[in-house]
Amino acid sequence: MFKRLTCFLLAFALAFSFSLTPLQAFEPSPEDRELLNKIEKDTLQYFTRFSDKVTGLTKDSSRTGSPSSVAATGFALAAYAIGGSRGWISQDYAYTRILTTLQTLRHKAAHQKGFFYHFLDARTGERVWGSEASSIDTALAVAGALLAARYYPGTEIEKLAREIYERVNWKWMMNNSDFICMGWTPESKFLPYYWDSYNELMILVALSIGSPTLPVPPGAWERWLRPEGDYNGHKIIYASTGSLFTYQFSHAYIDFRNLDDRGINFFENSREATLANREYSMSFSGQYKGYSESSWGLSASVGPGGYKAYGGKPGGGLQDGTIAPYATLSSIVFTPEFSTQAARFFYDSYQKELYGNFGFKDAFNLDKGWWANEYLGIDQGITLLMLENYLNGEIVWKKFMGLPAIIKWIELTGLERRSASTAKN
Amino acid sequence: MNQNRRKHFFINKPLQIRFMLAVIVPLFLINLVALAGLYFGIWSKVLETFSNEQTLNDLVTASRMVEYEQARHPVASQDFSSLSFFKQTEKLSLRQREVFKGILDETNRSLLWKFLLLLFFLAWGTIFISHKIAGPLFRFSKAFNEVEKGDYRSRVNLRKLDEGHPVAQEFNEAMEKTDHLLSNLKALAQEKDAPQAVAKIKEKLSTVQTSANV
Repeated sequence: MFKRLTCFLLAFALAFSFSLTPLQAFEPSPEDRELLNKIEKDTLQYFTRFSDKVTGLTKDSSRTGSPSSVAATGFALAAYAIGGSRGWISQDYAYTRILTTLQTLRHKAAHQKGFFYHFLDARTGERVWGSEASSIDTALAVAGALLAARYYPGTEIEKLAREIYERVNWKWMMNNSDFICMGWTPESKFLPYYWDSYNELMILVALSIGSPTLPVPPGAWERWLRPEGDYNGHKIIYASTGSLFTYQFSHAYIDFRNLDDRGINFFENSREATLANREYSMSFSGQYKGYSESSWGLSASVGPGGYKAYGGKPGGGLQDGTIAPYATLSSIVFTPEFSTQAARFFYDSYQKELYGNFGFKDAFNLDKGWWANEYLGIDQGITLLMLENYLNGEIVWKKFMGLPAIIKWIELTGLERRSASTAKN
Repeated sequence: MNQNRRKHFFINKPLQIRFMLAVIVPLFLINLVALAGLYFGIWSKVLETFSNEQTLNDLVTASRMVEYEQARHPVASQDFSSLSFFKQTEKLSLRQREVFKGILDETNRSLLWKFLLLLFFLAWGTIFISHKIAGPLFRFSKAFNEVEKGDYRSRVNLRKLDEGHPVAQEFNEAMEKTDHLLSNLKALAQEKDAPQAVAKIKEKLSTVQTSANV
């Protein structure tokens, strides 16, 4: 009797604590929800405005002279599909844009064994700036293509997306090593850098294992390092830079909430990392007037001294007062209350300098009186996808998790699915 | 030509060093100010040209490509470098700074060699000039020492390019007269007719002015 009572009380306490976890229980006010929707809708306009009308390739940045980025193009594919489904752009327009872009990626865009070059000429699809055939950027392009395909099943879009995915020789990019190489150039062949430690690599490894044609061995999932660190009591498998985007990119597509990786839940890991990142910047609030409870977000972004991998601890912890609003917003699935609070603060306080036709500009630094005058494609993309997951019934996760490739990856790597009753979220 | 050649760089080391410092330091400072003005002026102009929109766009794009890679492979923070002198570069990105630093370092290396060469010629020049003054002074000093020891045959013979030829000539003429006078006095002292010799000596010395003018 006593044992049964204890079990009941324990279960009740656990359920109570989960249901009242503030971040999960948080429901934005109608005004905040409206703002978040506006931001997502405005962010979408980046992709319609800065993608080439003929090829569909999306510019890396809104800055004049910027080439197109394959990763940004991948996000554009996802963005069109989302925009079409939400009625922000017409279904015809969305379909045509996606189709055009996929045809370019399939037939025109420069690639090496299916790996697209990081930067391409938006008009011709040729490689520019001596960029590398990039594994992570290809993975982000493929992820966007596969997601778009889920919005338009049984169409030419699905066929092209599958062909682009199946063409990629993921195993070749391992270069006979234990890890996936970061890239390859015709001049230097394989780069001396590998995806060997935790960061945004999970989407890449998942797609490379799940490939139906040229996959990497399932063991590639276990091999990359999972370095453990601690900041302010937040125990985290951390990325070397400590940049928020590293805890977000894979989560834009993959729903890690119910996946256990030998005791690690990467969704909870990202939430802890986000909280640590916020607290880390707040610890400098006396030094930098830009940092506060409502103003945080250390991630790779442009800054007064160029593009830098700003980040928190554990990790590099590089900071100089620069805040990247995209990173704050893209944490919304992990820290909904804090991210919404920050979005409201940024919008109300700095709308004139920071908010434009395409949502929030990339970054700002109050101490140096510096405001970014540009938007970055991948930062726009992660913002849009994370907001969509948060605001629209986790639709991106639901669609992406149904992909055969993702199901295969989960099965082959031994990731354990949590049952709904044991899942925190 | 060989006759005019000195055997040693330093004839009167303290004097020559003082002279060198007196010449080198002002010249060095003047050169330094002039060079710094040229250096910073030129480079400020170079940097200004990068404010050209097209150039700037290309530069920013090129640097951004590299910065993306560096964001994936963080590098150590920038220490003091040649760029630290140029405030304008603070606005530049990491890659731009690298490009400029490369150009600056290469220019600085080239300028350093030229500057060292200039310094060498400056030092050589001052030694050469100081030689013309220190040499005569040395010879005068030597002559005075010999006189002090009682050798009135001593003469100052300067090299062709030395300074102080008129003084040396006057000195030699004075020494000639003194030598002649003393030679005569010595000759008179040898005479057997002492009263006559004393009278002649008195006559010879009557025109000589001394402290003991008796």
